[in-house]
Amino acid sequence: MTDMNAQNNGRVPGGFAADIATDLTSGRVVDLAEVYALDALDDAERAAVEHYLAAAQQAERSAFNERVRQARETLATSFTAEEEPPAGLLDRIVAALPAQPAGRLADGGPAAGRPDPAAPPVAAQPVREPAERPVADELGAARRRREERRRPQGMRNWLVGVAAAAAIALGGVGVGAYVANQNDPLNQVLQAGDKRQATVEVSGGGTATVTISSSKDAVVVRMNGVPAPPAGKVYQMWLIPKDGSAPVSQGLMDAEALSKPAVVKGIASAAALGITVEPAGGSARPTLPTVAAAPLGA
Amino acid sequence: MTTVQMDRRPGRPVAAGYTPGDARPGPESTAGTLCLKVMDTPNAPNPEAAAPPAPATDVNRRLGALLERIARGDQSAFAEFYGLTSRRVFGMARRVLIDPELSEDTTQEVFLQVWQNASKFNPEAGSPLAWLMTISHRRAVDKVRSSQSSTDREAKYGASSQEIDHDSVSDEVGSRLEAEAVVRCLATLTATQQESVRLAYYGGLTYREVAEKLNAAIPTIKSRIRDGLIRLKSCLGVS
Repeated sequence: MTDMNAQNNGRVPGGFAADIATDLTSGRVVDLAEVYALDALDDAERAAVEHYLAAAQQAERSAFNERVRQARETLATSFTAEEEPPAGLLDRIVAALPAQPAGRLADGGPAAGRPDPAAPPVAAQPVREPAERPVADELGAARRRREERRRPQGMRNWLVGVAAAAAIALGGVGVGAYVANQNDPLNQVLQAGDKRQATVEVSGGGTATVTISSSKDAVVVRMNGVPAPPAGKVYQMWLIPKDGSAPVSQGLMDAEALSKPAVVKGIASAAALGITVEPAGGSARPTLPTVAAAPLGA
Repeated sequence: MTTVQMDRRPGRPVAAGYTPGDARPGPESTAGTLCLKVMDTPNAPNPEAAAPPAPATDVNRRLGALLERIARGDQSAFAEFYGLTSRRVFGMARRVLIDPELSEDTTQEVFLQVWQNASKFNPEAGSPLAWLMTISHRRAVDKVRSSQSSTDREAKYGASSQEIDHDSVSDEVGSRLEAEAVVRCLATLTATQQESVRLAYYGGLTYREVAEKLNAAIPTIKSRIRDGLIRLKSCLGVS
């Protein structure tokens, strides 16, 4: 074992523990930056790191972010496998591009519709302008076309789509996740033997990963790279019952809550989980377009 | 019709595109691919050997300018961005996922994300290439973890790792000089550091899975990844 330890400046003495929770409590979060940048944490551990950082001192957070940034630059420079993508892929992608928000397109002149770089992240597109072209429909149509084209080639176990109807990648998830707090509901789901995971696209950017456990009768929802809701709006989660009755609100997610995994219980009678954008304070019934939805298949 | 209007049709199944009959295919053929490449001798650390390469500043400047145009809805800028980077994105997806169709779909998702999120690209948080490859790797890893068991992934990694990483650096992205610096700098890592980083990066394994795979202690693997990437960073002069 010749692992180098020359770069030890400023490091907490001692080595890593076996589990991430202990690393965090012993003040080693910054040393996890490279493992984090490499996507070498499982979902629960990544969430734990992010949760820790959200409450950490600014200096520690900055140090972590800087190390992550450097690691990502290093990886992008060092791992440069290249392969020619299939012919026609660009055309298929362009055909599936959602419309940019009105006013962004070329004829408006250089400044027209230019997003202010200082402005907060662009909100979920489909809800910005209710009259806007239905992005989801275009994408869904493109996806269906593509699937029809491909169906003869064999089974497809997942589907691409940027809006509601979902890219599904249900299946067994690797076992062996270990998290210190075995007893909290979040970890119970994430460590359940029967857990299944799916990632669905969120209209407007990012994804939502759902981890479903029938035995725990719960689903964990984690948003990845989803923009904050527009001013005066919140994300609201719903369970859509199997029996066709009205969706049942499972709570609201504001900008802050977006970074944390949420546990939704009582999924046995639900057909699907949906996320909508609603006015601040939430709605009794979903009123605006769904930005993400995942079948629970429980 | 994929935007679900739940208020109007509350009982409608939400995932119109999901067919239960779309069963996942079984593991891809893994027979014969289980032998993981074993690196025989540690490379002697030699930090002096590698001069820091000029970073891919030209490419990144071009990509940054293109992203600004893409943020304004410029499809020709998008096509140019794709032309400059699609080999990298698809190449990464193929390494991680192996399956050509999954790789193609991942590539498509990545570029859709570029289109949608170009306005959120922040040059201060990193270069355009690092931003793009971060998105790409995350997508590929999410997909591989949700669709394949870790055993499959290890087996597939074994198959993919037979090739050299820097066999096909094109003139489009990155320069020859830079590629040579990378080869030199990778050689300053110990064999075990290289192996751990590669298993995680191209194998899509977590550090825990890397430890199991290599039969090493978990803290050791975390250290190898950290130290390996830091050494590589220093050698490449990444600032």
